[in-house]
Amino acid sequence: MLPPKLVLAFRGSAREYFRIWIVNLCLTLLTLGIFSAWAKVRKKRYFYSHTTLDGTPFQYLGQPVPILKGRVIAATAFLIYYASSHFFTFLMPYILATGAVLAPWVIVRSAAFNARYSAFRNMTFQFEGRYRDALGVLYVWGIVPVLVVGTMFSWWGQPVVAGVVFLAFGISFPWWIRRFKNFIIGHTIYGGKKGVFSATGGQFFMVYFISGLIIVAMMIITGILAATLVASIRKSQVLLSVLAVPMYAGYVLAYAYLQAHSSNLLWNNTQLGPLSFQSTLLGRGMAKLYLTNAIGIIASLGLLTPWAVMRTLKYRADNLRVLQEGELTEFFGSETSAVQAIGSEMGDFFDVDLSL
Amino acid sequence: MITLKGQYYSGRWPLGTPATMNVAKREVSLTAGRISGRYSIGSLKVSPRIGRADRFIALPNGGQFMCADHVILNSLPAESPSEGFVAWLEVRWGVALAGVAIIVCMVVAGYFYGLPAAAERIAARIPIETEQALGREALAWLDKQEWFGPTNLALNKQKKILRGFDRLRSDLPLKKYYHLEFRNSSFIGPNAFALPGVTIVITDDMVKLARSQEEVLTVLAHEIGHVELRHTLRSVLQNSAVAVLAATVTSDAASLSVAVAGLPAMAAQTKYSREFEAAADDYAFRLLKQKGYSPAAFATLMERLSKNHEKVERMFAYVSTHPVTAERIERARAAAQRDR
Repeated sequence: MLPPKLVLAFRGSAREYFRIWIVNLCLTLLTLGIFSAWAKVRKKRYFYSHTTLDGTPFQYLGQPVPILKGRVIAATAFLIYYASSHFFTFLMPYILATGAVLAPWVIVRSAAFNARYSAFRNMTFQFEGRYRDALGVLYVWGIVPVLVVGTMFSWWGQPVVAGVVFLAFGISFPWWIRRFKNFIIGHTIYGGKKGVFSATGGQFFMVYFISGLIIVAMMIITGILAATLVASIRKSQVLLSVLAVPMYAGYVLAYAYLQAHSSNLLWNNTQLGPLSFQSTLLGRGMAKLYLTNAIGIIASLGLLTPWAVMRTLKYRADNLRVLQEGELTEFFGSETSAVQAIGSEMGDFFDVDLSL
Repeated sequence: MITLKGQYYSGRWPLGTPATMNVAKREVSLTAGRISGRYSIGSLKVSPRIGRADRFIALPNGGQFMCADHVILNSLPAESPSEGFVAWLEVRWGVALAGVAIIVCMVVAGYFYGLPAAAERIAARIPIETEQALGREALAWLDKQEWFGPTNLALNKQKKILRGFDRLRSDLPLKKYYHLEFRNSSFIGPNAFALPGVTIVITDDMVKLARSQEEVLTVLAHEIGHVELRHTLRSVLQNSAVAVLAATVTSDAASLSVAVAGLPAMAAQTKYSREFEAAADDYAFRLLKQKGYSPAAFATLMERLSKNHEKVERMFAYVSTHPVTAERIERARAAAQRDR
């Protein structure tokens, strides 16, 4: 017998979200981007507040100013990178190295911000990962450092070296993703309970592998189509646009499959105290959603974007079940996890949101 | 006095207790099961209004009261005060419609006037020296990758072209920086381009395709136009601004993997590059006439190029970077006519 369910529902409405979206976009443009911090808060608030579990909405507690600070820092870093890649190329290796050293810090900070400012029933989430752990996760097996160093000294001139490095990177990537997800879930805490993640790298590999097979299959179909049509269609532009159809379809299918099944893998192997999850997303369901979203958005010159966002979130929520295998009282709050406790930390300079 | 019905969350466990809150002028009183308390209005923090979602009132005892949205909540102390005005705007359809109109106006005005004007001003303030190192590096890279080999042109042919080039640049503001390079390339074909800074490269095939010195100079004059008008820097500035603008407007669509979200930016950037070509043409025609050459030579060369292009399709042909249109040829002829 299945354990009892806690009902998860998404109750956002496209009409309501349209107004929120357009007002925030307009103000962002009018303020040359400064308002984007408010826009982010308003959107996240809308998503959280209209997602209910057992009848209670989630709460997003982030405030615009720390997010604005984070965005100023991110924008400055990007400008430095951009200027050096275009005008001061001799600085590039140092900038990449600094970025590599800072990356784990950025990951830890944004995960901590996200957790700290998400709450359910007056209890905030927490994230306890440290810089050291993130460093280990990011640079394990030396694949990423090799890629970075290789880019710094442009090793890609030698095809053999480049080929071996990229092959090693491609094959180990699913295992790397698993470690990363494990790092995030395993250090996220709610009500004193740490998340437990049990998916294996092999399971991730299968998801990536099948999604790669979809691409290869579509390439073969495109190839056959090209061979049969090349004689009958003279104009190269017409031929290219005919061939773009199976290529695009292949890309959408592969991407939808990847999204659906890595999401399923993530939820189905996560345990949080007495709660476990069951995600039943389908690749073809996601593909249908992406395709209809794209058609709607293009046909409406972007005005149907909020509608597309809402139905995607609804589809995801409809396919996620929360199973309860014990009492909710297994979660216990503390002085610091209460929503009211947040205000005291606001003054901290590094309490910034660095996620985009 | 207003009575609100909802749930009370103690913060100890994720379980709610049915609760009632009475809001009076200076204080509220809460009853939730066995818990009851009175709190002054000033000690509360109310979550911002968003859509039709339930609101939360944080109490000084660490507990939280949740209830359906109610007008009275907007007059209590806010958890995030700066959002109040935004929330007020968000519930009005009139504001949303005005928002659509403002966005359309801003995007159109920014794209057609704002960005090009701003990029031109900024480029004028950045000295050309900053680009020079980049241009040298780019050429060294192209040489190293064997895109180019050394030129096969006879020395006196090169000297003749260089003399003509010197004549063209003799009165220009950036004259002392100019640098002309000859290169041979088997697969780029007839081509000429200005690298960042003031290095202009012309391929042997282009020199050979031209039937006269005047025709070679028309191509060089066009590239000089790109340099004098600072098109490299301006296109970097404009294209990155367009990319940022497009990313802002389409960010939500992009997060849904609508692969076409990048297309508007690409289309927008194509228009800019065509405008730069036209501006460089106009500059070249004026310069040529000033030096006693005819823009008609440019038209003849372009016609030959596009015929040549139909015969051999090359990946990086001059025609694809500098689209030859009947309009461009027409304009060259018209410019040649005017000086008679």
